[in-house]
Amino acid sequence: MLIDPKLQQPAEAVPGQPPARPAVKIDGVSKSFDGTLALEPTWLKIRKGEFLTLLGPSGCGKTTLLNLVAGFLEPDKGELFIDDALVTQVPVHKREIGIVFQNYALFPHMNVLKNVEYGLRTRGVPAAEARDRAMETLRLVKLDQFADRRPKQLSGGQQQRVALARALVIRPKVLLLDEPFSALDRNLRAAMQIELKEIQHSLGVTTIFVTHDQGEALSMSDRIAVMSKGRVRQIGSPEEIYASPADRFVGTFVGDANLLTGTVTTSESGTLTLDLAGTALTLPQSAAPEAAAGETVELFARPEACQLVAPGTPGAVPATVSFAVYQGAHVELHLACPAAAEGPIMLRVPVANVPKVGAAVAVALPEAPVIFTGEAQ
Amino acid sequence: MNCTPLDHLLTWSGRILVALILGFVLLPFVVVLIASFNHSSILTFPPQDWSLRWYAHAFEYDDFADGVKNSLIIAAFGSTLALVAGTGFAYVLNRYEFRGKATLHAVLMSSLVIPNFTIGLGLLILAASVSIPRSMGLLVFLHITIVLPFVVRSVYVSLQNFERQLEAAAESLGAAPRRVLFTITLPLLLPGLAAGWLFAAILSFNEFTASLFLVNQRTQTLPVAMYNYVREYADPTLAAVSVIYVVAVAAMLILAHIFFRLEKVLNVD
Amino acid sequence: MTKRPFLGWFVTPAGLIAIGIAASFLAILQYSLRAHVPGMLDPGGFTFDNFTTLLKPAYGKAFITTVLLCFWTALFTLLIGYPLAFAMLRTRSGWVRGAMLIITLTPLFLGEVVRTYSWIIVLGNQGFLNSALLGLGLIDEPISFMFTTMGVVIALVHFTLPIVVIMLAAAIAHIDRKLEQAAFSLGAGRVRVFLTVTLPLSVPGIVAASSTAFAWTFSAFATPQMIGGGQVVTISTLVYQVGFASFNFPLAASLSLAGLLFTIAVLSIFNLGMRRIERQGAY
Ligand SMILES: Nc1ncnc2c1ncn2[C@@H]1O[C@H](COP(=O)(O)OP(=O)(O)OP(=O)(O)O)[C@@H](O)[C@H]1O
Ligand SMILES: [Mg+2]
Repeated sequence: MLIDPKLQQPAEAVPGQPPARPAVKIDGVSKSFDGTLALEPTWLKIRKGEFLTLLGPSGCGKTTLLNLVAGFLEPDKGELFIDDALVTQVPVHKREIGIVFQNYALFPHMNVLKNVEYGLRTRGVPAAEARDRAMETLRLVKLDQFADRRPKQLSGGQQQRVALARALVIRPKVLLLDEPFSALDRNLRAAMQIELKEIQHSLGVTTIFVTHDQGEALSMSDRIAVMSKGRVRQIGSPEEIYASPADRFVGTFVGDANLLTGTVTTSESGTLTLDLAGTALTLPQSAAPEAAAGETVELFARPEACQLVAPGTPGAVPATVSFAVYQGAHVELHLACPAAAEGPIMLRVPVANVPKVGAAVAVALPEAPVIFTGEAQ
Repeated sequence: MNCTPLDHLLTWSGRILVALILGFVLLPFVVVLIASFNHSSILTFPPQDWSLRWYAHAFEYDDFADGVKNSLIIAAFGSTLALVAGTGFAYVLNRYEFRGKATLHAVLMSSLVIPNFTIGLGLLILAASVSIPRSMGLLVFLHITIVLPFVVRSVYVSLQNFERQLEAAAESLGAAPRRVLFTITLPLLLPGLAAGWLFAAILSFNEFTASLFLVNQRTQTLPVAMYNYVREYADPTLAAVSVIYVVAVAAMLILAHIFFRLEKVLNVD
Repeated sequence: MTKRPFLGWFVTPAGLIAIGIAASFLAILQYSLRAHVPGMLDPGGFTFDNFTTLLKPAYGKAFITTVLLCFWTALFTLLIGYPLAFAMLRTRSGWVRGAMLIITLTPLFLGEVVRTYSWIIVLGNQGFLNSALLGLGLIDEPISFMFTTMGVVIALVHFTLPIVVIMLAAAIAHIDRKLEQAAFSLGAGRVRVFLTVTLPLSVPGIVAASSTAFAWTFSAFATPQMIGGGQVVTISTLVYQVGFASFNFPLAASLSLAGLLFTIAVLSIFNLGMRRIERQGAY
């Protein structure tokens, strides 16, 4: 789901001006718990106003990284900077950050207004001004008429918005969100994603967003950092991550992927030829410059980059239809293919054009597929 | 379920058994109620004459009035100080690791295992050997040591159910530790603190054995005054006091049941 | 970054109290090793005599009496507490349950003196029970409950019943009703379901309740003192008597210490049993 394309633009340096200094700099930060490494040494710079998403499977260290930025954890090694100031030793309450927790963490003994005012009152903002600013922020999240309610009297989505207002009202230097939408149902979630993105963009607040939902990451982020096993595997815009995954993990974790195993037959004078279980495929050598003849590689292609063609088409991989899953707008076709690295190959075809189960077909691969060499685990 | 005659027999014998048991629990209170209205100072069943004179006497008897006063002072100070110390200790117990934690815990909770007469004797000997007089202060300290484990438990359970993330949220909003404590943690622990304090106060008000070792004529608590009365007089004044006691406690429990549902409080539903 | 805010502030009051507790414990320990100087409140030099004195039959008898009281009290409390706890949980009427809870709990908040005094009026020679039995012509002369182990046990059962019922009820409440329903569905009758499912599953609660009943009975003082009237001598009454009648505080201290060691030993055995049961339950 795409939002206004303007919103997708990373807040990049204006050409001709010196690059903006990072709002957050994570400088070789690592963390282990009882001897097991939860986060390998990590370097990251987050631009002012940028929406950065930490994406990865459960237990990969996203929350750990976020808690390090927030100050709930102290790094074993490395330093943290917020707005150029070294904050590694600065306690949480002096870091000027805003956090939205997964379960909202609204104060149950205070009404909505008091919740939102809290951060202002701790900063010594006078009562009247705190009230006005809190009401203003509540209007921003469209909850000003609920100011007197207790958190428990609100729906999940409303509570989520109160939590957001509470974090934003203090004008934090960084906004941190740890899986904020995971407790919401699907429709509400989509609506909240758009709302958050709009608010974030209009306020220009630097945001670190944690999720394990790749769709959410792709639709909201300026940049995504894909993490696995305590390591950032790739950082890039959603387009880069989706179109050119750095490794097999990123490719398969973000979006649907087809993987085919092949052997390099030749790799010389600008051309690379692969043998995919009997099918010869010729690619530009730039697809995998360091691949040597005889090496086993993996060919990675998104379902929408693959095409169903007639059997026998040159360069297309033969396959058999195993089953078809009706999805409304299209049909997901699962194909058994001798060259497939794991599981069936999947592609989407129009409902009108579905081959029978058991039919022999062929799959035409994209002209410039991504090739994973070496560590094709 | 189909009901055979055997089932009926079972049901009814069960009901009778339970009624008998409840009768056993109630028996002394019913008897004491009857005795309290006995006119003569020698108890006889059934009483020959009825009167309220023992109630009047109970209210006139100075030792009881002083005992109530002392017991209230001791219970108020003891349970409040125990609440302060116990809450602090439950907090560090729940959150921090530090050297000597296990030892400190064992010592503070020891009064659950140590019989009250031993606690009383110990403090008596200690006070004697360092020449502390048998004062109200000493009694307050004694009661703190006796009720502290209950306060610690009550607060500790509340802390275990406490959502730590609320503190993290407050901290991220700029609240320093002290502000977090006073605006988030303590207000949310209030029910646990109140329950702990109330239980401590009741326990302290009723404590008898350990206090017996430490009181003097001036610091006599109500239970000790009642005990001394029984030893000296055989008249039914104490029956009147007991009736007042039973009625007060039963009324309190009925209120507690109406407001909080006792089966919930006791975790037996 | 302050890692442990308030640690010092919060530990200090508790620490001071702990020092007081530890000091009074050390005071007992110290006194138990000091000689008694008749006519003097201050103790004499160091000696082990107090502990050899404890070996005399009179003191051994107090131990035996106390243990017997604990045993009978725990047994009878369980026997009447279990049906009460069971009925309390199984009754369908909330009104009845509330009434049962209030009746059961009231004695818990009365204090030892009020409860014991009430039993004196019930059990005395001219008390309610004997008057009633004589009046009905069931007996010719009063049964002596006062100054007997039986009388003390009756009052102690009443004393420990509330806590035992609460503990048993909590244990029975946590048994999954589905297990009983499963047994019913397999054709078992009510008695069989109770004996083969409910009762075995409440054993941990029974053990915990017995251990508490033991500890409460062991430390009871007013009941054996007032109803036993010097004829039923327990450790608690003996400590008081040795201390306040003979002013032999060193001996009282050593007697308390012996009693404490004994309590700890018995409670450890209960704990051990408990752990075994829990371990078996895990398989
Ligand atoms: N306080 C802790 N003590 C010990 N281990 C921890 C602690 N916090 C996290 N870990 C471990 O560190 C690793 C990373 O945890 P983290 O919470 O950062 O994962 P995550 O990416 O946020 O996962 P999820 O999506 O499930 O929230 C996990 O293996 C976890 O078990
Ligand atoms: Mg997480």
